[in-house]
Amino acid sequence: MKRQIPLMIVLILGLLFVAHVFIPSRISADYLDWFLKWTKVIGPFAIVLGVFSLVYVHYNKIKRKAPTWGYSIVTLVALVITTAVGFIWGIQEGTPYMWIFKNFNVPLGATMFSLLAFYIASAAYKAFRARSIEATVLLIAAIIVMLGRVSIGQAITHWIPDITEWILNVPNLAAKRGIALGVGLGMTATSLKIMLGIERSYLGGKD
Amino acid sequence: MKFSDRIQKVDRRIIYMILLLAVVLPLVFRIGFKTYTTTPVEDLYRHIDAAAGRDDMSILMDFTHDPGVLPELYPMDLAILRHCFERNIKVFTISFLPQGAAIIQMALSEVKEDYPNIEANVDYCNFGFKPWSTKLPIMLGMGDDIAEAVETNSEGLKLENLPIMQNMKNYDNIQVVVEISGSSMGQFWVTYARAKFGVDVAVGLTAVMAADVYPYLQSGQFVGSLGGLKGAAEYEQLVDIFAMNDEEFSKKKARDIKWVAAQYKELPAIAKLYKYNKARIGMDAQAVVHVLIIFFIVLGNIGYFLDQRAQKKNK
Repeated sequence: MKRQIPLMIVLILGLLFVAHVFIPSRISADYLDWFLKWTKVIGPFAIVLGVFSLVYVHYNKIKRKAPTWGYSIVTLVALVITTAVGFIWGIQEGTPYMWIFKNFNVPLGATMFSLLAFYIASAAYKAFRARSIEATVLLIAAIIVMLGRVSIGQAITHWIPDITEWILNVPNLAAKRGIALGVGLGMTATSLKIMLGIERSYLGGKD
Repeated sequence: MKFSDRIQKVDRRIIYMILLLAVVLPLVFRIGFKTYTTTPVEDLYRHIDAAAGRDDMSILMDFTHDPGVLPELYPMDLAILRHCFERNIKVFTISFLPQGAAIIQMALSEVKEDYPNIEANVDYCNFGFKPWSTKLPIMLGMGDDIAEAVETNSEGLKLENLPIMQNMKNYDNIQVVVEISGSSMGQFWVTYARAKFGVDVAVGLTAVMAADVYPYLQSGQFVGSLGGLKGAAEYEQLVDIFAMNDEEFSKKKARDIKWVAAQYKELPAIAKLYKYNKARIGMDAQAVVHVLIIFFIVLGNIGYFLDQRAQKKNK
């Protein structure tokens, strides 16, 4: 029963949702309304679960003195302080919460992302070689797109941004659409497997 | 060490140092490269501008992004908000990430400084942070009733009592949903809001994500897009030359470099503020860095070919 009941819930609700999309009627509209209300009630509990999980994982790391446990202290202290100032003074502009956000979150986040530029430049220089025809095509396309996406390309000749647009609108679009169709079919197949109880890993444990 | 080896094995610390200079110098000493607008950005501008001066139309901006992508996306946030405040377009803002809610506060307060007549809950309404797990009920629920789906604004006030909601009921009153993110969040809006209710959706993305949206642009599922800092720079320019001059959008004019240059001579002081030029200043650095990376790639390949030739000769 421990497995049958969740499987039945998934099957029934899954079929109802498919039916709702394909059969427009008063009943299906009411079903959607009921579903939305329940989701709004259940959804926020994920945050409680997330906070609990975060505290649990990092508390255990500190307790066991696991490698890099010092960072876990920083994580928990940041969690407590940010939550506390948010509850006490609110999260509007001019509050300590926004001060923390602007002076810690923003520069730290931007720094992490900015480091990418250095790694990309170094990796492109070291690894981007015209070793085969495919690699040469990729190399030429990359150089054209890099030039076409900045104004220097247009300053050299209007052909560079025009070719860039063509690369993005034709070969890139075709490849992306192919990938999207593949992903879509994969998602449909996985959903059906979950609904029919073939894929059960989400239940946890062994079959 | 042979010449071909030397040019293939430049120390990465030297590369980093040159790259640092290539980023910093154009930011300090502005080069002022021209900005050329492209169709996806022009389409988004035109779509948003169509709601100018209307009480029964608004745009919905979804700020589901975090501080990591701010250098690319924040100029978009500011440019779109400035466009709306300048042209009297009603704006709703929402985020399904907690950090996004703080970014909304930051962006709204920064743009509001220059538009003292703009009032919260009258000209714009910040829905604030809504938990990620509620995105589906909110996206679907807004098709019937925005006030019922979202319930409260960021200050906890009931939406149904706010003046801005007087003529706003559902997606029929949303000109376009603009998803600004470093993820595929825009596709959720297409799947749930556009497919079911027909609302127009557009996206602002980081440059690495920009190539992903072309199938959606071609099919019309996205009515426009801003790709990375370049997209933001283009939008900044369109706001300058059209919105700031109270001029109707014209694709022909937007692409006429002489006409664009003439508009810059008579711009109000607001348009010259650093915060509204961030993307265009950043694009100077990006242009130099792109050329530098191309130079390094070519350098590495010259070394590789010299090596190959020497190996063939030795055989």
